[in-house]
Amino acid sequence: MKYLDRIKRSAAYRSIFRLPDVATDRDRAASHWSSFLLHLYPVKVRRRELRFGYSAFLGVASLVLFASLVVSGIYLMFFYVPSPSTAYGNIQTIQTNIAFGQYIRNTHRWAAHLMVLAVAAHMAKVFYRGAYKPPKEFNWVVGVVLLVLTLLLSFTGYLLPWDQLAYWAVTVGTSMASYVPLAGETTKDILLGGPTVGSSTLVRFYVLHVAVLPVATVAVLTIHMWRWRKDAMLTVDEPEIAEPAEDELVLATAEGDE
Amino acid sequence: MANQEPRVIDNQRVLGVVPGKPAAGDRKELQEQDTVMVWPHLLVRHAVAALFVLLVVMLIALFFDAPLREIANPTNTPNPEKAPWYFAALQELLAHFHPLIAGVLVPGAIIGGLVALPYIDRNPSLLPQARRIARVTFTVFMVAWILLTLVGFAFRGPNWSWVWPWEEWHGEL
Ligand code: HEM
Repeated sequence: MKYLDRIKRSAAYRSIFRLPDVATDRDRAASHWSSFLLHLYPVKVRRRELRFGYSAFLGVASLVLFASLVVSGIYLMFFYVPSPSTAYGNIQTIQTNIAFGQYIRNTHRWAAHLMVLAVAAHMAKVFYRGAYKPPKEFNWVVGVVLLVLTLLLSFTGYLLPWDQLAYWAVTVGTSMASYVPLAGETTKDILLGGPTVGSSTLVRFYVLHVAVLPVATVAVLTIHMWRWRKDAMLTVDEPEIAEPAEDELVLATAEGDE
Repeated sequence: MANQEPRVIDNQRVLGVVPGKPAAGDRKELQEQDTVMVWPHLLVRHAVAALFVLLVVMLIALFFDAPLREIANPTNTPNPEKAPWYFAALQELLAHFHPLIAGVLVPGAIIGGLVALPYIDRNPSLLPQARRIARVTFTVFMVAWILLTLVGFAFRGPNWSWVWPWEEWHGEL
């Protein structure tokens, strides 16, 4: 403790974290806002939000999985060229000749599957908690956009290894596009860049997977987190409505279920 | 504290600080709806959750290799042809309904319904007992979707025929 205090008083520490000498809640709030990373969070939350059962930390889990996908994905990009003549060989090389290649590829693959699961579970948890109700309606809508982006990221990535699994899964997936009313063939053409899955498809999916979709996801995620903080602070400022007593509960049920 | 001047507030001054908890009557028991500072209370929990997720990913990645089949061959269609597992429910529907329904209308309705949900359900209550209709509706759709996904993922074999996963395994990750 003594050493910790020494560090906290040092000029270097205090140049990074602007802590006042005596900390009241107000000072803590002030230092919270003056820190870049902390200011992404609300200052206070209700105590029940600390419990595991409140969110099961599934939003955080989705976020961590997304971050690990960005990191492992960038590593894989160094060794991958999106062309039918190179893609498959690149993956083999990554697995056999690149430092940590197999491990990083495994991480990227499994984290992607887990992210789909985590995001879906996060959505269900938010639903059962009723956390889409005012003032949080719009953040739910933003969440649905994130769900779609997550699925698209997974699906575009699926093609990149250019093996039988990738090729035919994407063939099945994109065949549905041709049934979009009126614009079916056009949609399919835009996706595939030809009559069947081929080299143009691979380039398109690659650009979507490593540039368009991740950037879009980060942008939408920023709004999601920003709204989460704003809504959290709104609900903390509001006086809490006490849980109704048993007899009032019957009334609430009757009203809610009409 | 020790080498500072004692602070005098309203003619009272601190004579000493005794470690330990205040007497039971003076203790403030925090209620569920009381607020706490995010740092450290929420942030340490988020940090633990984050480390746990990373540990799980690390363990899976260490012990299971990502699949890599033979190189793509446009002339050799595998049987069954499987979409990724998160589209398995749609693929299963495709086996029963016209593609316009299974491939366009159903996914469109799901996304549209999810977007509209907070504007349809205007019941302000957060109590499970008071949200029976909403909960039952959501649960029915969710369970149906999970079942369709499982069937499409694990219970379908060549020509999309029914197989028991413990007899023939056709699921692909
Ligand atoms: C890329 C996917 C997503 C990420 C990374 C993500 C992340 C997060 C995080 C970190 C939180 C705050 C903490 C928590 O409640 O766990 C949150 C809250 C929330 N999320 Fe998501 N989310 C994603 C997708 C979704 C989806 C698909 C929905 C619903 C359709 C959704 C709806 C919400 C709502 C309504 C909140 C506010 C909950 C509250 O304030 O109590 N999110 N999200």
